[in-house]
Amino acid sequence: MNCCEFREKYSDFADGLLTSQENAEVGFHLAVCAACRRFDAALRLGVDTLRALPGVGVSRTFGARLRRRLRGEFVVQVPVVARWSGVVGTLLLVAAVGVIGWDRMESRATRHAAAWPTNGWNPAPLAVNDQAPLYRSARVTPVEPRFEAFHPLNSILIVEETRPAMAGDPARVDIPAVWGGP
Amino acid sequence: MTLAVREGLRNPGHAPTTPFADLEDAQVVQSFLDGHDRAFDELVARYQVRLLNFIYRTVGDRERAEDLVQEVFIRIYRHLHRFDQTKKFSTWAYTIASNLAKNELRNRSRNPLVLFQTIKRHWEADHRPLQFEDSSSRPDDLFRKRHLRELVEQSVSQLPEHHRVVFVLRELEGKTYEEIAEITGCNLGTVKSRLNRARNNFATIIAPHLD
Repeated sequence: MNCCEFREKYSDFADGLLTSQENAEVGFHLAVCAACRRFDAALRLGVDTLRALPGVGVSRTFGARLRRRLRGEFVVQVPVVARWSGVVGTLLLVAAVGVIGWDRMESRATRHAAAWPTNGWNPAPLAVNDQAPLYRSARVTPVEPRFEAFHPLNSILIVEETRPAMAGDPARVDIPAVWGGP
Repeated sequence: MTLAVREGLRNPGHAPTTPFADLEDAQVVQSFLDGHDRAFDELVARYQVRLLNFIYRTVGDRERAEDLVQEVFIRIYRHLHRFDQTKKFSTWAYTIASNLAKNELRNRSRNPLVLFQTIKRHWEADHRPLQFEDSSSRPDDLFRKRHLRELVEQSVSQLPEHHRVVFVLRELEGKTYEEIAEITGCNLGTVKSRLNRARNNFATIIAPHLD
């Protein structure tokens, strides 16, 4: 056995994986080769020193930090069979939320335009004049606005009657200054 | 596989009669999947120090190693419901830790300055953990021991990344060749080859300093 062969077999020798004959060959080479003997001694000493090094422990805050991070985790375990149905269901839910959110955005834009001052006046039905902005003033009841208004990107303010007139409805609708009212 | 939801929505049912500390890893894992959150605390307690020392010896930075250990447990928490319970939990945990450690080393290799600062920190005595030395030894022996410890740590840090992981798993963690193959995703022949080269490199670095 030469030194190259010794180095190739050394790992298995150190782990006790050689046959008895191979062990004998390695042992004989160690006995006659000073360089490989030095190599063996260096590795054994190095590994022993490495194993004797003090281990490190976790810091005092490790557990608290880990718990804080885990609290943010939300894991849902589903049976393997239901995995794809869960994906489809999630997509449908996202789509439904998107549709609802879009619808709310639309009605919010509409309701914002209808944030009339509330002092109890009910307007008469207003005619839509597509030639000039409307400057009728009117007031609506706060509980159930009778009119909705929207401003479709031009100078026209369109006021729509959303329910029939009732007793006690105010006679006037005040148009806020933002829409060109007084 | 059971249906279970975390954080207040779980229905643990009956609490286990045997303390978690007396259960095998597989049983603790099953307890957790059955809804007993405390079982995860047991897994953390069992593996936090082992994983920390493995990652620390691989990346050489104690603080960063602790961050990576936290990341290991986060990933275990997220994916434990998909863990193949026919396999060993220990091997799976070490696989995650090994991958994170390798990623850390690869990210560092893109910034050599960071690597230098990390190594330098370990050279300064006041940054090292307290070690109670043998007061009965001669001063030159103490000096030689301290020098040897520094040399050994430095030698490990100089090993190539894929050699270092295998070397630490074998020499410090005591993993078998088959376990190392599973953890590193290599075949048995590759593990033996890398281990052999790691030992050769390690001894080659150390040997001149032992004269």
